[in-house]
Amino acid sequence: MTTMSDFAIETRGLTRLHGRKRAIDALDLALPRGGIHAIIGANGAGKTTLFRILLGFLSPDSGEAFVLGRPSATLNSEDRRRIGFVNEEHSMPGWVTVAAVLAMQRRLYADRWDARAFDTVIASFDLSPAQRIGQLSRGERAGFNLALALGQAPELLILDEPTLGLDVVARRRVLDALIDGADSEHRTVIYCSHQIEEVERLADTLVVLERGTLRNVSAPDDFCARISQWIADVPFKGPDAIPGLLQHRKIDGVHHYTMLDADTGFADFLRDHGAKTIQTMPVPLDRAVDAYLTRNHAGPAA
Amino acid sequence: MSRTAPVAIAIATGDPRPIVRQIIDAIRRQISTGELSVGDKLPSVRGLAQQLGINPNTVSKSYAQLAAEGWLESRSGLGLFVAVRRDQLSTAERERRLGEAVDRFVSEVIAIRYPADEAVAAVAGALDALALAKRA
Repeated sequence: MTTMSDFAIETRGLTRLHGRKRAIDALDLALPRGGIHAIIGANGAGKTTLFRILLGFLSPDSGEAFVLGRPSATLNSEDRRRIGFVNEEHSMPGWVTVAAVLAMQRRLYADRWDARAFDTVIASFDLSPAQRIGQLSRGERAGFNLALALGQAPELLILDEPTLGLDVVARRRVLDALIDGADSEHRTVIYCSHQIEEVERLADTLVVLERGTLRNVSAPDDFCARISQWIADVPFKGPDAIPGLLQHRKIDGVHHYTMLDADTGFADFLRDHGAKTIQTMPVPLDRAVDAYLTRNHAGPAA
Repeated sequence: MSRTAPVAIAIATGDPRPIVRQIIDAIRRQISTGELSVGDKLPSVRGLAQQLGINPNTVSKSYAQLAAEGWLESRSGLGLFVAVRRDQLSTAERERRLGEAVDRFVSEVIAIRYPADEAVAAVAGALDALALAKRA
């Protein structure tokens, strides 16, 4: 087999319009094979659109997309067997039984079916074979879908909000199942989530999308290290324009700045503006992400 | 065949320290306090990852750094073990860390308004007790 791209997924200049809005905007993204890659972004950042294009369900307006080295637009059934996908809606026909879906999946993937992976996840859900899909709760469908995808032993597993709607027990089982394959060379997991705590625990790579453009690709720790919190007693309302400012709050007359890529130069800057005491500290990942994604909403508090 | 020593540590997401750092700090503390002793076998990478519910690559990174710093040693085919400590830190680094420890101590002492001579005597006493315990 020839590969045109060595990456698990790759996009080159990918653009997709939804009406006049650019859902994906000239996106160049390449994620290596192996490991767990998390994509985060505010609602409408383009995560789901990206997945749909990668899987060939949606055509881009311009640019290219590759999955496991194959062009997304021309994936054949053999390529698709190597890719597991669990969508956010967990859509399956409501009238079909659990047993029938499972039998079909096992038949489709008879040559690579991983019963242990399927059983591990499904064990935390109380499903009976005779139940119809329409009778399952959202969480049960999520678990069943994920178990089916893991049973398929895919080289690439794409998950859209895999733990949304799951209770704590089911969530833990799902995460365990993902961790279990994470150190394998032959499994790449790409998922999007709003659960930063999960991302911190699981992800090798943190991808930040914003309005269809790429903002960050790095280890979560490296992203976190770029963001810092500063507390200073700058007199009055403080400086007007602060390069690198993500968030600013004034609490009890003291200014709290969340900064991107600030170094000791920022301390000098604050001192120049009359700060007598300046303290700095790291921030946890969830606050770093929050500050980064909301930075354009941040107006200096009065 | 040595059994794996349990490593009771907790990861706090929302801690400003990366998880890699939290594991390193926790294991160093356990070695320093004697909860883990020289020759104890650590959990496998996969085992600790499952225990903590985190990516195995994160555990690998922590173990690699602990090994590089001399806290752990790898015995081929057997796993990772708590190593015999030797002084590996540079003089400058030891001075820097001592300075940090002194700063923390001094700020506590000032905060509780303790007389300086009594604080110094208390530290000397604690260090003497430690030296005696080691010799015993």
